[in-house]
Amino acid sequence: MFDNILFLLSASLTVVGAFSVVLTKNLMHSCVYLLAALFGMAGLYATLGADFLAATQLVVYVGGVVILMLFAVMLTGGDQDKENKFGITKVPAMGNTKTFIAGGISALVIALVILRLVANIAKQNPQGDLPNYMSTVVEIGTKLVTDHVLAFEISSVLLLGALVGAAVIARPARGDDQ
Amino acid sequence: MITLSSYLMISLALFLSGLVVMIARKNIIAILLGIELILNSAALNFAAYTRFVNQNIEGHIVSLFIIVIAAAEAAVGLGIVIRFFQMRESIHIDDAAQLQS
Repeated sequence: MFDNILFLLSASLTVVGAFSVVLTKNLMHSCVYLLAALFGMAGLYATLGADFLAATQLVVYVGGVVILMLFAVMLTGGDQDKENKFGITKVPAMGNTKTFIAGGISALVIALVILRLVANIAKQNPQGDLPNYMSTVVEIGTKLVTDHVLAFEISSVLLLGALVGAAVIARPARGDDQ
Repeated sequence: MITLSSYLMISLALFLSGLVVMIARKNIIAILLGIELILNSAALNFAAYTRFVNQNIEGHIVSLFIIVIAAAEAAVGLGIVIRFFQMRESIHIDDAAQLQS
């Protein structure tokens, strides 16, 4: 019973947040709706019994990535010029009816393909007796340093590279003409 | 009744929203938001299959690596966006049409 209520709340938060990211006209509002959607995703992970994933989702996404996005929005705000260098009027930054029609048509095609695939899965309905919820932290920790230790180390190198790369890219070049 | 299909439907909704955002928006930061939505839908699928199909923990580990990669991608992408804004005074995707300034 409690599972169903939590599932319904998280699912509606996620889906409504994701659709609001599409529909709103303001980039700042779009970031905040993304935060709601990611929060709902953490709830969905909790209903799946993935406690460590839910905590990671909250810490990394809600605490990190969305804040980073908001900083980037605030650092790059302001008026955009309406014409490009050839004097042609640009498509507005948040899209107009034409771009949304293009996006809607491609989403429709992809949705039909995926629904065709999911229909078979829904017919089979692979659901045995579900296990009880238990903590997954110990098992994830053990697997990360035994079976998946190579991927673990590579991801640490990737994070270091991303950190250094982001710092190098965002810094203004020294030889620039100010 | 909560089944695997309900999670797949939520994942489909997230994926389609991300797709429409990536195609319809012309703002680089908005396109990065769409990428985040799509990566999240993939991670949700892994966790749902872990619970309903094979019950081993490998799916959680793959979801964890997806989150790590998404964080790295966001950091580098926003660094590029800020540098691009310093050079061109714009974050419109159509202004990013040259390899060299």
